[in-house]
Amino acid sequence: MDIEFSAEDLAFREDVSQFIKDNLPKGMDMWTKRGEWFKAMAEKGGWDVHKWPTEFGGPGFTPVQRYIFDQEMARNSTPPQIPFGVTMLAPILMNYGTKEQQDRFLPTIRDGSVNWCQGYSEPGAGSDLANLKTRAELTEDGKHYIVNGQKIWTTLAHIAHWMFCLVRTSSNGPKQEGITFLLIPMDDPGVEVKPIITLGGAHSVNEVYLTDVKVPVEDMIGEEGKGWTYAKGLLVHERTGLAGIQNSVLGLEKAKDNAGDVKIGAGTLLDVPAFRNKVGALEAELLALEFLELQTLAQVSAGSDPGPESSIMKLKGTEIQQRISELNIEAAGIYGTAWGESSGPGFARGAMGGYLGTRATTIYGGASEVQKDVIAKKVLDLG
Amino acid sequence: MDLSYTDEQNLLRDSLQRFVSSNYDINHRNKLTSTEEGFSRENWQQYADLGWLAMSFAEEDGGIGGTPVDTQVMMEEFGKGLIVEPFLASIVMAGTALSEAGSEAQKEALIPGLIDGSLIATVAIAEPDTHQEFERINMTATLKDGEYSLSGQKAVVLSAQSANQIIVAARTSGQDADHDGISFFIVAADSKGLSRKDFPTVDGLRASDLTFDSVKVPSDSLLGEAGKGYPLLTKIINRAILALSAEAVGAMEILYKDTIAYTKQREQFDHALSDFQVLKHRMTEMFVEYSLAKSLTLKATMLESQGSEETQRTIHALKYLIGKTSRFVAQNAVQLHGGMGMTEELRVAHYFKRLTVIDAMFGNTDYHLERFVG
Repeated sequence: MDIEFSAEDLAFREDVSQFIKDNLPKGMDMWTKRGEWFKAMAEKGGWDVHKWPTEFGGPGFTPVQRYIFDQEMARNSTPPQIPFGVTMLAPILMNYGTKEQQDRFLPTIRDGSVNWCQGYSEPGAGSDLANLKTRAELTEDGKHYIVNGQKIWTTLAHIAHWMFCLVRTSSNGPKQEGITFLLIPMDDPGVEVKPIITLGGAHSVNEVYLTDVKVPVEDMIGEEGKGWTYAKGLLVHERTGLAGIQNSVLGLEKAKDNAGDVKIGAGTLLDVPAFRNKVGALEAELLALEFLELQTLAQVSAGSDPGPESSIMKLKGTEIQQRISELNIEAAGIYGTAWGESSGPGFARGAMGGYLGTRATTIYGGASEVQKDVIAKKVLDLG
Repeated sequence: MDLSYTDEQNLLRDSLQRFVSSNYDINHRNKLTSTEEGFSRENWQQYADLGWLAMSFAEEDGGIGGTPVDTQVMMEEFGKGLIVEPFLASIVMAGTALSEAGSEAQKEALIPGLIDGSLIATVAIAEPDTHQEFERINMTATLKDGEYSLSGQKAVVLSAQSANQIIVAARTSGQDADHDGISFFIVAADSKGLSRKDFPTVDGLRASDLTFDSVKVPSDSLLGEAGKGYPLLTKIINRAILALSAEAVGAMEILYKDTIAYTKQREQFDHALSDFQVLKHRMTEMFVEYSLAKSLTLKATMLESQGSEETQRTIHALKYLIGKTSRFVAQNAVQLHGGMGMTEELRVAHYFKRLTVIDAMFGNTDYHLERFVG
């Protein structure tokens, strides 16, 4: 056993860190010069698609390199990538798509010219995702599927060109076995997108209504009835990402900075024992969670599946995100209630938005209650 | 000992429930919060006509002579309806200030207007550096030629945008957190040198940051004795905490009941969510914690109304418990509603936001627990 990274890994970290120093747009340029940033990443050798294997133009990072890469990027708050195409659909195309599908879709996923959204959840299929009811029926000539149903909580559907979608092609047998993976163009006249305004007034999720949407069979991924298997493997990886551990490490540092600026008596809020202890407890749990992530990574490096450990990370990681957001509201004091522009400290305006927004983290990607069920069944053998 | 509500209090509760159920669904509230003032003057007039604005004032001041328990009954129902009218600022806070410290002339000039709804007032205590230490008053009031000149800033003043009169805590002597030297003044909202920055709070209500730049007020604007305002400051905050606690209790009742109703009709894995033991227990905990918070609210209200020595300590315990419980109940109401709990379409989200604001007002859980044990 060796708790230190190897010399090669440390050199890699230095390389990533130097690259960020040289290329990361500063300040407002972060938003206006996103394109240049991703171009530089691509030129560096597939860093814009850092999880992709070399055969598809990725850098072929080892799991440890990928971890280091993610950590450095999070630490430096680099521009985020919309994940639906690059990290969610692409691996499915690579593993189960035809050569034609790969050639057709991967290039525009990579250059960001085509936006994707994920059509999994439905009004009756949330935690119980396999309960989905959207029907896809084959036309008599066998050339098309006609799709009818409703998707919900579809993130960024309003700017998406395509949706990758789980639909039901059979109601016989176990629920999981009649599910098929289809690609649906959002400009089809049968697709209607309605916004959902979430706690805090944001519009990022939508309802998507599908009425007699005609999908050529060529736009099915893999085999009919196997969609659940394709999607499920990826959900395990999604969970680890949703834990947001590096973002929390960074977020906690920011929360401490914020609290350090708040004067209480002769000191600051960080000197108030109740507050300081909450910060300390979060730091301790994050230390453990970071190491658990590394251990999981070691397992993946050794060739095994991340498996149910990803549920531990999702469960604890999201809870920690929520607790950090509470620290910011507390640090904002009387200004914590303000929603419009008050005269309070700069961070106060974002604090409430953060608190409201993170309420979703223990609901999406499998609610905490579901993660506990996964751990109970798969790890503890509790039926 | 008698811990039951009087017939009059039950009738009062009935009349509030009738008003809320026939006038105040979440769509109505959303419409109001998106207007300029953020509430309905028409509703406000109705509260006056129904006698609710008069309830807490003494009969000799033109009021009904109700007790803090009557206010607790009203606030609990306001909490259930999630009403947005400026009852806390104008009646609970400014009303307390005038009733407790006002001269006969001051009472005669202002209380009738508060009662008939033609006048709205608020109280400005917090400042940019307050954080949660409300005795930290740095606004200055200097007496010269029979006038006070007020300079400084006030932060997150509730309903100031709609107020005709603002009752301001300022310092006539001493500094920073000294208890001595705090004085209250009644300031007309349109005074020269007084500027306002208005903003909505996350619950859809309104607050303002105020800047006083040598605002001149006549010496008879002094409310109470110069430099001896600290007990009044405490009294106003205590009354506000009692009112907000009762409001929180009402809001929590809606949340735990809505959550039960939702989980009974929502099916996943071929069962109603309410069949899952883990969710049953969660909702049971919400109810148990709610019940404790409700009890302590009544206890603290009764102690305060009887001037008990235990009042201050009990109010610290109360605000701690209300903050902790409302966070638990609100967070779990959203969690158990799943994605639906995250939408602005359901009322759960709006109760969640109001309870979050209540926790942050007049000292949060940590602040009050520290003072309760200390």
